[in-house]
Amino acid sequence: MWKTVLKREIQHNLYSLRFLLSLALILAVFIAGSLSFVRHHAADLDKYRVARDLAVKAVQTDAASGATNLAVNRRSYDLRPRDNGFLADAKEKYLPNSLTYSAWNVFGFANKSGSANPYLARYDELSWAFAIALLVSFAALIFTFDAVSGEKESKTLSLALANPVSRGALLFGKYASAVVSVMAILAPGVLVGLLILTLAGTVSWGWSLAAEVGACLLAAAFLAAAMSAFGLLCSVLARSSNVSLLLALTVWLLFAMVIPNSSGFLAKNVFPIEKAESVQKRVQQALDDLSKAAPPGSWMMNSNNPFLPQHELRANLMRKRMAAEKAIRDDYYRSMFLQFERTRRLTAFSPVAAFEFLAESIVGGGYPRFRRDWDDLHVFQGRFLSFFQALDAADPKSPHWFNPRESVSTTRQKVSPDVVPTFSERPMSFADRLGSAWPYLLVLAAAAALIFSLGFGLFVRYDVR
Amino acid sequence: MVFHIAKKEFLNNLLSARFLIGFLLCLVLIPFSILINVDDYRDQMSQSKIDRDAAEKEMTEVRVFSTLRPMVVFSAEPLGVFGKGLSGQVGNQVGIRLGSKPLLAEGKTAARDNPFLASFFSVDFVDIAAIIFSLLALLFSYDALTREKEDGTLRLQMANSLGRAKLLAGKVVGILMTLLPVVVFCFLLGAIIVLASRDLVYSAGEWSRLILLALVSLAYLVFFVFLGLFVSSKSRGSVSSLVVCLFLWVVLIFIVPNLASTFAESFVPIQSRDNLDSVIADMDKGLDERIQAATDKLPPSDWNMNWWMFGGSDGERETYGCTASHFERNRREMALSEPLRLDNADRKWAPQKAYLDSLSRQARVAEDLALFSPAGIFRAVATSVCGTDRRAQEKRLEDVRRYRETFVSWLKGKNLFEKYEYITPTLPSAFKTRDQLVAARTGGRFKTQAEYDAWADKEPDFRKRWQVLSTVTLPGDSPEDYPFLKLGDMPRFLERPVSAADSMAASLPRLGLLLFECIFLFALAYVAFIRYDVR
Repeated sequence: MWKTVLKREIQHNLYSLRFLLSLALILAVFIAGSLSFVRHHAADLDKYRVARDLAVKAVQTDAASGATNLAVNRRSYDLRPRDNGFLADAKEKYLPNSLTYSAWNVFGFANKSGSANPYLARYDELSWAFAIALLVSFAALIFTFDAVSGEKESKTLSLALANPVSRGALLFGKYASAVVSVMAILAPGVLVGLLILTLAGTVSWGWSLAAEVGACLLAAAFLAAAMSAFGLLCSVLARSSNVSLLLALTVWLLFAMVIPNSSGFLAKNVFPIEKAESVQKRVQQALDDLSKAAPPGSWMMNSNNPFLPQHELRANLMRKRMAAEKAIRDDYYRSMFLQFERTRRLTAFSPVAAFEFLAESIVGGGYPRFRRDWDDLHVFQGRFLSFFQALDAADPKSPHWFNPRESVSTTRQKVSPDVVPTFSERPMSFADRLGSAWPYLLVLAAAAALIFSLGFGLFVRYDVR
Repeated sequence: MVFHIAKKEFLNNLLSARFLIGFLLCLVLIPFSILINVDDYRDQMSQSKIDRDAAEKEMTEVRVFSTLRPMVVFSAEPLGVFGKGLSGQVGNQVGIRLGSKPLLAEGKTAARDNPFLASFFSVDFVDIAAIIFSLLALLFSYDALTREKEDGTLRLQMANSLGRAKLLAGKVVGILMTLLPVVVFCFLLGAIIVLASRDLVYSAGEWSRLILLALVSLAYLVFFVFLGLFVSSKSRGSVSSLVVCLFLWVVLIFIVPNLASTFAESFVPIQSRDNLDSVIADMDKGLDERIQAATDKLPPSDWNMNWWMFGGSDGERETYGCTASHFERNRREMALSEPLRLDNADRKWAPQKAYLDSLSRQARVAEDLALFSPAGIFRAVATSVCGTDRRAQEKRLEDVRRYRETFVSWLKGKNLFEKYEYITPTLPSAFKTRDQLVAARTGGRFKTQAEYDAWADKEPDFRKRWQVLSTVTLPGDSPEDYPFLKLGDMPRFLERPVSAADSMAASLPRLGLLLFECIFLFALAYVAFIRYDVR
């Protein structure tokens, strides 16, 4: 019987004004988003190439000036703009996107200057994830807010239930039809978007992209299911469609606006971390203590002779200083990661926020991408150091006193830039993506199931007269 | 008659569930948004205080003019609690350097302790007001005509000697009478939070700007009331009117502002920052070469040794315990290098300005495109009133650049680049020859430099050579032997407060546009209602 209800409801939805308006809106947003992605992705890639060429040039210059310079000088690894950014930008423009390292250490991360225009107020790019998070959640509520209360007002609910149709079948039919209708609205937007991107040559088709698009649509279906369940609940809770609409809009504002935009406040107040100034003071204190405790002559630098005994003292001091600073900073970075992750987990209570995090995991961007690169860069740094130490070991003119900050007491032999190890980002594996995606998928599925069950429980006791 | 209709409308609305829910929404969201931003403001203030104290300490504890580099620290804008605008995403300080003009604000942003938090957006009073006021206005006006038509009461009313204009005016007044207390309540709530907060003390000017913000909010509200009426007068039923209004709401509040920024970023690209940095680095390299070429022509000093020295990349040089000849060499180097540095800063300004212009152009296009939405107009006017918009930020930077010119003129006016005071607090009368220095430092062990050199050539231990020279500590060999500079006549940066008149003047065209749209929409609603089939 629920299939009959589903068919009737879908037909009803298809001919409704809300369907037409939602469709027009989705199409407009997908077209605008795709066109703008074509433009700005090309510009972002150009900027990335400029930065990469400068970095390659710096490696060549250092390699020509000696292996120690190559090992000691700090370099930046900038994250490449993602080709699948049209699916979800994952706010990478605002996240740390540049990692600083040398052969001795992975020093830190920053949001690269010029990533975002400081005079342009922060905004959500018109990616698919944004369009789905905003419009699918809205459309799902618009299709369901009067599913019960509206029928009650027009007296058709009692008529419908006078037939041999169970309340469960009726409610489920309405629920399923809302999800199907929302996905039917989304499908043309996705197709038009893909058409534009393909014609512009911005995307190159393959299994990976097809899987990402499919997974995004699946995630959208979960979001539509969760938000439709909320819409039905509002409809069952209220006696009139006006009230259920207000309830639904309140739910939408709460999930799409209030909770996601309270994250910064929650992070600072629920999961506070140490202030940057305090960390800097601790670093300075540790460095000063080590410098004071260092044997006399450790700071003597007035010689270019690599074998001057003071260079060994200074090399030891510099290694200790670097280790002490690294211990404090890495601890601080871990607290940053934890604060960010915990806040996201807390805000994932909102299906809209959960969907955005899910989309980020699906496309392999944003924070999961950063964390993977951060860990990988540490592995690479170990390899880079081994490479340098092997060069130094082979140089009889080197005293082998490793100093992570100066190019004095280790090999000064030139290196061919071709043999210098370079860090390159590996693509996110399926396991990586699934690993970061499943909690959010679970949140959406659980929200859909729980809220629908609650709605059903209330509908069973609903006075349909 | 208009009053009677307005009163009936007002009472109907007042007793409705939508009023209750809308009021509750305001009651929850408005204090929440303000409290979040009061918290941010408190953080900004404490950060500004820390930075200002540090800058003041650094600037007053200098002994030579070459290390004098004022740091301008901006105060947090008190009205940022209502509309934070760009205040959370730009830095809070700008350093004054001789080698370059200030480009952008540096220092701490809202995500100072954890850069990942920059990816979390936050809402403020202006955002919440833009969403809630528009929603309430539409919810109270979408069925103003359609509901009465559905109930059959519109036909009844029109059967009397009631003009359509009067009916429409009555409805508008009734809806505004319902919404006005909500708006006033929201602002009163905001004002109470401000008064209750120990961190916020508003001046008369700031209160008047807040009143201005309330008036702008009213104009914004009126726009959506008229929009709702227009849709209602073009719709046959309440449901279709509601659906159209809600979609218009989503488009105008959420889609158009994001679309404006996305389009601006895609179609008005900014220059590459890496490219700019690379060009600037090349120009700095060129400066180093020019300075080297100029100073190479100077006669060498008799002993190229600074007993204590500090140097910086912006031409900072502080030196103690040199020979008279080396002090002179240092002085002449600075007299040559600093004008070249200033000249290089002027040359660097061309590419820097081009970069800045590209940033401004992109932001301006986004702001202009956002004018297609009343929410875009409202946000632009509100952040302008709150002094946190792009113009206020650019003005601050422009003031800092002007201050740098004043500071440089002050240095030049005192002819400091040519003076010893620029590099050392040691008085020329206390300068020593190298033989005098060697004799004094070695406690008379060596009478002349030649004697010392002859011994040092035979001494393989580098440290011992220095230890001998440190036998006697001479007064004036280290910074601690000198007092800090007295900088009473140095020009200081004065932050110009945003005035209500300035805010009004800056936002007048946008406010005018909003008012024009209101009048236009009302005219459309009126015309549509005249032609409305009331049966």
